[in-house]
Amino acid sequence: MSRLRNVAVVAFAQAPVVARDEHRMATEMLYPQVRRALADCGVERSAIDYQVAGSADYIDGRPFGFVGALEVMGSWPPTQDLHLEMDAAFAAHYAWIRMQAGDCDTALVCGHGKVSEGEPRRILNLELDPYYQAPIGLDPLATAALQASAFMARTGTTDRRLAEIAARNRAAGARNPDVQVRSSASADELARTPWAVEPLRTGYVPPLGESAVALILAAEGKAERMCDRPAWIHGTDQRIELQTLGARDLSRSPSARLAAERALAMAGATSAADVDLVELSAATPVEELILCEALGIDADRSSPALNPSGGPLVGHPLMMTGLIRLGEAFRQLAGRAGDHAVAGARRAIAHATNGHCLQQNLFWVLGTERRWT
Amino acid sequence: MKRPVAVVGVGQTRHASRRAELSIADLVREAVDRALLDAGLEHRDIDAVVVGKAPDQLEGVMQPEQFLAGALGAHLKPLIRVHTAGSVGASTAIAAMTHVASGLFERVLTVAFEKQSEGNAMWALSPKMPFTAPLVAGAGGFFAPYCRAYIARTGAPLHIGPMIAANARANAARNEYAHLREPMTVEDVTNSPVLWDPIRYLETCPSSDGACALVLASEAQARRGPRRPAWVKSAASYAEAMWVPGRDQVNPLAGRVCAKHVFERAGIRDPWREIQTAEIYVPFSWFEAMWLENLGFCDVGQGWHIVDRGEQRFGAHLPINPSGGVLCTNPIGASGMLRLGEAALQVMGRAGDHQVDGVKNALGHAYGGGAQYFAMWVVSTEH
Repeated sequence: MSRLRNVAVVAFAQAPVVARDEHRMATEMLYPQVRRALADCGVERSAIDYQVAGSADYIDGRPFGFVGALEVMGSWPPTQDLHLEMDAAFAAHYAWIRMQAGDCDTALVCGHGKVSEGEPRRILNLELDPYYQAPIGLDPLATAALQASAFMARTGTTDRRLAEIAARNRAAGARNPDVQVRSSASADELARTPWAVEPLRTGYVPPLGESAVALILAAEGKAERMCDRPAWIHGTDQRIELQTLGARDLSRSPSARLAAERALAMAGATSAADVDLVELSAATPVEELILCEALGIDADRSSPALNPSGGPLVGHPLMMTGLIRLGEAFRQLAGRAGDHAVAGARRAIAHATNGHCLQQNLFWVLGTERRWT
Repeated sequence: MKRPVAVVGVGQTRHASRRAELSIADLVREAVDRALLDAGLEHRDIDAVVVGKAPDQLEGVMQPEQFLAGALGAHLKPLIRVHTAGSVGASTAIAAMTHVASGLFERVLTVAFEKQSEGNAMWALSPKMPFTAPLVAGAGGFFAPYCRAYIARTGAPLHIGPMIAANARANAARNEYAHLREPMTVEDVTNSPVLWDPIRYLETCPSSDGACALVLASEAQARRGPRRPAWVKSAASYAEAMWVPGRDQVNPLAGRVCAKHVFERAGIRDPWREIQTAEIYVPFSWFEAMWLENLGFCDVGQGWHIVDRGEQRFGAHLPINPSGGVLCTNPIGASGMLRLGEAALQVMGRAGDHQVDGVKNALGHAYGGGAQYFAMWVVSTEH
């Protein structure tokens, strides 16, 4: 890999995930996060060259929901801007590409949206192709259950194992003030919860939640001045695969495998197992296992730490979950993870996904040191 | 921009109010296949795919690029989906350009589409804003007051809008892909019913099914390709907040800033003299006069004089929308990319019957939101 521009995460702010914020619109939830992120790196909005957001009109329950975010992201005087209809982690990835092109040195990346305004299970059915799959009535729980069945059939993974993974995430989440589910639960308790859709129990899937997220990226030369401990991006890659459920081996994610390989290669890393922690956008324990397989890491070993934040199982605001993973990796490397800190963390992997059954996957490899010198 | 980027392939569908014979995937493929053929490339040559479209409510499919991944040849490739309201087709192409400029990708396919016959555009374009009475009047109801304000401000005579609409239709008659190609006179337009004062039925863009695809590539690829490329001299996407006291909706600052940015970086000091043709986003007739001013082709208040003198007609000093533009073809998500793609075709000298003579530099432009989002590029025969 030829020399790329060193770019770092220098600030991250998130509204604690809640089932429903009764009193604030999405933009009202976002504004304080933008201000906090800017204050965090001690700059005014005018110091930021570029802005990009991720959200979905269907989540907002209206067309052009993202236009309102211009009011709170600081779009006056006019700013260079883009909006992606995806998880905001992909917006961060685009900002990184833009920095590689030399088009900006600093970028504000936001994720927003209120799932409580609608019925996400019905809405996410509309992501499936409108001719064959959506009319069946499949929703994300049903497709996740199909994936879980395929994975358990191939690997012999037991219900007990899923309960243990869920319990680990719950225990981690109890130490993270920004998550929605802050109570731990034992594997025994979780294994007794009813089916959400068999073989997934209600204890293995996240509740619906909403949040607002702001993250700031800065290139070398500016990053050091904005943050005492920036989280440098060593490698990143994203890939999509076919949606058609019947055409895929749902027990594997080739797009995740390829994206992980490319991100690690860019980072000059031989193995994902060498990092200190991994934050995965795994909405079920099975997704966590599939992603670990794609990364080539053993989910049973204590290192790297898996989802020390508690992961999506304890807080899953749609279109922001992935950007929160990147923000959590930053918190760990910057020494700002508080009670859920992984001691001495120097390298981290963050992951984001889009679509049903891990259709599209994005990986970041980050470190406390610059990648290219 | 770290390195030069060129448009090496342009493809678009035949646009119509209802392409009932095609699925959404078929529609997208009609444009993609043509763009790849044009570039002399195949799907396996493409490193990344950048997709854009306007609100998903238009078709009733959320993030349709997910199910289109196969049709787009995107399996195991990077893909992003852009949405910046009406400007999206242009901002999408610019995002694809950035991919190539970064040095990380050699050949990027970018696609924008809308299949408006799948849904109801009036409904989908009538957002319910918090604390604001719903207009349920579509984009026309939203933008008509801007046009009235322009008329009040400049004293433009009322025949200007109909002149723009009739000229667009005359241009579309020379474009085999355009949706509305039947000629009409200024009198025909004036006699059509007023929908949203001052906008008449025949001064309004249609709802179209259509798609546009471009292949953007590095210099090495552009030199290898079968055709003369269009070099992207400069490109930018700007946005501004809506609820700013004193914001000028008729002549928005974001549009002025964006135009200044792209002209400066393209080395263009006087766009009226140095740009030979422009494809600009005119969904309602009056916007042609408004954008001529906003883009800096003339002074404020002079846009309608250019129209009145016919200087923006085909064969005149600065042909605007020789393709017929948005007034004759409007698959919303694709409309911005069609502007940028048509500008590229003019530079490549391959615009067919609507080719403008002697084009060295061309502007492609789109806007969206409440006249808040602007995206444009200058393409040239030289880099």
